[in-house]
Amino acid sequence: MSQQPSMLGRALKQAGVLLLAALIPVLLTAAFHPRRPAWSRDQAMVTEVTLDTLGQWRGAVLLVDARGAAAYERQHIPGALSLSGGKWDDLLEALAKEWRPGMRVVVYCDNRNCGASQSVARRLRRELAVADIYVLKGGWDAWLEAQKSGP
Amino acid sequence: MAGSAKVGAVIAFACRIVVAAVFVYAGGVKVLDPAGFALAIDNYRLLPYPLAAMLAVYLPWAEIVCGASVLWPRVRCGGLAVLSGLCLIFAGAIVSAALRGLDIGCGCFGPEEISGVSPAIALLRDVVLLLLCAWLLRWEMRGPASPRLN
Repeated sequence: MSQQPSMLGRALKQAGVLLLAALIPVLLTAAFHPRRPAWSRDQAMVTEVTLDTLGQWRGAVLLVDARGAAAYERQHIPGALSLSGGKWDDLLEALAKEWRPGMRVVVYCDNRNCGASQSVARRLRRELAVADIYVLKGGWDAWLEAQKSGP
Repeated sequence: MAGSAKVGAVIAFACRIVVAAVFVYAGGVKVLDPAGFALAIDNYRLLPYPLAAMLAVYLPWAEIVCGASVLWPRVRCGGLAVLSGLCLIFAGAIVSAALRGLDIGCGCFGPEEISGVSPAIALLRDVVLLLLCAWLLRWEMRGPASPRLN
């Protein structure tokens, strides 16, 4: 009868030891990992831009649709290129052909509740070395809304 | 009786290999890009960003250490207890994100797992892992009488 509680106590003790042991590589990662996270949100997130700001920009802008292939096929912002997790390498190649140094890149996904635009923008910045990269605030929904309300 | 216990020991051995492989792989993929994983955690909007960043560094190593510990009899129960707890927390996070209408990748197998897996599949995968861990923990706690393949 007393075996179960003692087994449980032993399991909890072991769990504590394991979670403490994990701290050693954790500290090394936090100190030396080349892709360790920034500790503040402002540093970690790709800057958001509104449609109004986008409209005021001069110069070429490359729009990237991070919503997934099916949503892109149905409808997308004119001129936008699709880039999502599914066929990343193929799509990235197509995007790299369109992108020129100095060109701004703006990534969008569905709406305020999606995380794909931040992830894609971050990955694009890393893999294509795009410095001037942004995320469209409100995403596809904001663009649709702007179309309804007119220019 | 002894035959069925032997079969149980073989099944438990196979399950331990699966659980260890899945968690060491999942942790390993995340360890490659903690910054990306921090964003994946932040997408759930459950924690303030600095905590998400700390968790992004800690969680992958906890998965690797506890996943590997499942293969080591001395600390197996502890590892399985932690992994069961993690699966429960992950399930809660996935359900809560779905209920709030968040359209995010689960981040379960690395930050780049974008829009590839639906919340239902992610939850199902998590529940299967939870059941495996819980069953293994129960098996280990049956005491020294059960036959074992270490």
